[in-house]
Amino acid sequence: MHVDWKHVAIALAILPFAVVFAAWIGFFNVGASSGHWKVTDWFLHFAMRSAVRTYALAVDAPPELPHHAVQTAAGHFARGCAICHGAPGEPRSPAVLRMLPQPPDLTERVNSWSDAELFRIVKHGVRFTGMPAWPSQRRDDEVWAMVAFLRRLPALRAEAYRDLAYGPAGSLVDRPVTFEQALAECTRCHGVDGRGRSTATPVIASQKESYLLRSLEAYAEDRRPGGVMAVAARAVDGRHWRSLAAHFAALPPPPVRAEAATALVQAGKELALEGDALRRIPACLVCHASQDRNPAFPSLAGQPVPYVEQQLRLFRDGLRGDTGYGRLMREVARQLSDNDIAALAEYFATADPRPAPSVESARDDEVYRPRDRSDR
Amino acid sequence: MSTGALIWLALVGLLVYAIRDRRRTWSEDAAGKLILWAGPVFSSAVLLGLLTYALWLMPALRPTTHGVLRIEVTGTQFWWRVVYHKSGRPPAISANEIRLPVGEPVEFILRSDDVVHSFWMPSLGGKMDMIPGRTNTLPVLANREGVYRGACAEFCGTSHALMAFSAVAMMPDDFDRWLNIQSSPASGAAGPGRDLFTRHGCGSCHRIDGTEARGLVGPDLSHIGGRETVAAGVLPNTEEMIARFIAEPEVLKPGTRMPSFAMLGSADIRAIARYLKGLR
Repeated sequence: MHVDWKHVAIALAILPFAVVFAAWIGFFNVGASSGHWKVTDWFLHFAMRSAVRTYALAVDAPPELPHHAVQTAAGHFARGCAICHGAPGEPRSPAVLRMLPQPPDLTERVNSWSDAELFRIVKHGVRFTGMPAWPSQRRDDEVWAMVAFLRRLPALRAEAYRDLAYGPAGSLVDRPVTFEQALAECTRCHGVDGRGRSTATPVIASQKESYLLRSLEAYAEDRRPGGVMAVAARAVDGRHWRSLAAHFAALPPPPVRAEAATALVQAGKELALEGDALRRIPACLVCHASQDRNPAFPSLAGQPVPYVEQQLRLFRDGLRGDTGYGRLMREVARQLSDNDIAALAEYFATADPRPAPSVESARDDEVYRPRDRSDR
Repeated sequence: MSTGALIWLALVGLLVYAIRDRRRTWSEDAAGKLILWAGPVFSSAVLLGLLTYALWLMPALRPTTHGVLRIEVTGTQFWWRVVYHKSGRPPAISANEIRLPVGEPVEFILRSDDVVHSFWMPSLGGKMDMIPGRTNTLPVLANREGVYRGACAEFCGTSHALMAFSAVAMMPDDFDRWLNIQSSPASGAAGPGRDLFTRHGCGSCHRIDGTEARGLVGPDLSHIGGRETVAAGVLPNTEEMIARFIAEPEVLKPGTRMPSFAMLGSADIRAIARYLKGLR
């Protein structure tokens, strides 16, 4: 038979209908047991690697990976990632091994990707594979912390991993039910003393209870961006939130880091005390110093430098601040420069967590203080 | 008006004279004289007279430097920072309202903190731009008592149309009494509202004289209860309106730097509004 262009055209026109028809009658086997055809498998991986490589070109990598936050990433890895990818000293379930595609063992695979490519995969996930996107798309800092952890993963021994990810608790409870289990879920990263096991984690010991409770709710409802805390908060039964907040609020604050006041600390102190009216920066300590302020205003004294810096940057860049009180901070932080942020973080890290002396001027003191005191 | 009518009549008369039928030729001598007297001589005399009159008017408007009231107004998105400087007194800080004594020359010192604004009190004086990094001055003399409206006359952002103020011209004695009150803390302002104002951190942006609220980021609220309007000429000054502005500033004034405090709950907001309305 003579085949000319008309036959080809007709065949091409029919083909889409034939494919839809085949799908409709259930011709294509979607079972995972038999795996992909070799060609499909090759093509999917080829497309995936190429796409990650191309999209990673647009990723702005930080000059250095945030190694200070590796512990937080490890804690999250244990709850979010290890179930599919396994972890040092923790073989995976046979159920996971029958996923299609099988999640790669990261100790072998991590080094075939660049930092930017890992960032791309961790932040956005991979379609058709079961690899999810990062729970918060606004926290690139968390994703970079995970990249830093992944870089460390191939050489990580089982004990070192357990210490990083579980801390004093020693293990992970899949579904914390009792208060003790819920508390153990917190202390994996926040420490038994509530002072944080890394400088990426805030000091929550002696923080105001209602602030802690609000934060848990905001994380769980995605009003405060944070992939790590969103997963952790929802892992714990909401019944326990209030008692967890109360527990940490009652812990003693860390001792004051008595350090010589550098120029940076001095600049931070000035800004925190006085603000800068010309640049539209209110004084931090009007809200963040005294214990008699609205309990939704957290205490900042003694917080680790990287944590405060990160949160201020999130506020300034409009990534945090979707709650009523958060919006106040977004407005406050809008004018802060990188220098201001560094200075403020240094100052708060060394500040005394006890109620600060009044911010008033001497003149106001003379006239108004006495009456105030008798009022209270 | 009548002068205008006279000039018009004269012109029409001349026109009729010029187009009449009967023509007479002028000698060259007479024509030269007419041109000389009606041209350079007449117009020079008139212009000289007008110039003299204008110069005679000027000293009253010219800025003088001693013993005079100077009002410093700084435009900022979208409100006015006002400071009264009178010799022999500490400066009095206020916002979003101008008060000035009738019959006394006032010198306005005009600045801007962010973008170009324009200070304009249509019935009281001219309009003067407020330019970032520059200080402009505007002499104003109020002749009659009353409340005048002022506004920003240069597009300055989303809420430009909501950046207004009221200018109150008062008898000099009343003005001095008022200025005395402005220079000292407001009286009769205790109660739950005051504590809540402190507790919720309002003082980080707002100043209330005599309290620990010392913020200079937002408008001074020391005597807000006595002002004609709130939110820079936008709302009548009532307790309800103050409360509404605290709860939803971005609705009443899009683009304002004041964040919403709706999360405090209406009871607290009410109490703060009552306290503020009491600051006179």
